[in-house]
Amino acid sequence: MYYVAKVNSEMCSTFKCNMCTLYCPEANTLMYDKENKTSWVDEDRCKGCAICVYVCSDLLNRDCIEMAMVTPDE
Amino acid sequence: MSVDIYKINPEFRDIMPQEIIDLEENATWAGESVEKRGINDLTDKKEILEEHSLCAGCPEAAALRYILAALPLPEETIIVNSTGCTSLMFPHIALHTVHSMFGNQNAVASGIKRTLDWRFPDKTKDVVVLAGDGATIDIGLDYTLQSFFRQEKITTICFDNEVYANTGGQESGSTPKGQVFKMAPKGKVFDKVPMWELAVTSGVAYSVKLTASAPKKVAKVLRESILIAREIGPTYIHLYTPCILEIGLAANEGLWEMKEQDKDRFDDFKYVSDEAADYLKKCKKEGLL
Repeated sequence: MYYVAKVNSEMCSTFKCNMCTLYCPEANTLMYDKENKTSWVDEDRCKGCAICVYVCSDLLNRDCIEMAMVTPDE
Repeated sequence: MSVDIYKINPEFRDIMPQEIIDLEENATWAGESVEKRGINDLTDKKEILEEHSLCAGCPEAAALRYILAALPLPEETIIVNSTGCTSLMFPHIALHTVHSMFGNQNAVASGIKRTLDWRFPDKTKDVVVLAGDGATIDIGLDYTLQSFFRQEKITTICFDNEVYANTGGQESGSTPKGQVFKMAPKGKVFDKVPMWELAVTSGVAYSVKLTASAPKKVAKVLRESILIAREIGPTYIHLYTPCILEIGLAANEGLWEMKEQDKDRFDDFKYVSDEAADYLKKCKKEGLL
């Protein structure tokens, strides 16, 4: 089990800000879907540092990302 | 070198990993594209960096993303790197990189730049040095300053985490006064070496000190410094990328730490020589910036 970031796409698409994608330290992990206007997380690459949560909740007050425990498929 | 080396042989396409195919199809190169590449590519394009091995939440990794996204001519760029945390990322970059011995990165870069200018006189080639504070300020100070004295046309970037983080936390010349680390329990007795000022004294055309807290600012500074290095002379960027492990912060506090230091040790410092300022104005008119 490990922590990954989960984006609430419904809330995220109302803001169209994509700020979190710039601050994530991992390459091609937190990406922006231009069609659906929402950020999304490649969970296999996420290291669970929660910087995106700091950006979204603490800096921007938008609360669209939260950390969640996942279990990899066997 | 050209962007062609990233094209996949059709015979082998079916056995290539998805990441390599993405690099061909969705990465931004300067070569044939009409659009200018830049920091906004980070949102949905394939990056030149791939699954690096740095710690979760490392600000250095974020800074490297900004730098790679902002390189004006990635396929014609050679990055010279030295020992340290930064060297862990270089095997994961799809550019030509050279790992030099600890400290002599600017000497190696000088040789590469001179040879490239001699071998390809009609082409633009960028040589960028990217090393930590140990390599730039302590062990390689001689080579770094000598390359500034000689007016080598290279861009030097120092990722300053203020400690030898890779080896367990010994103090470096860049550590601020009084700072205690695991392997430096007495606290540092001397002041932090003001490398950005030494660079100005040594004759660089452009010297900037900043933190990696503002991606667009980092990208702009990098672009300016590479353009100046092509025509005018050496440029130096001093970038604060704290080691969150060694200063005892959680994985999500790196950005907060950089924002704090924006007002303190890493407040704005920017030196642009008169000649370089004129050149930047010209670049802006031509739409290069």
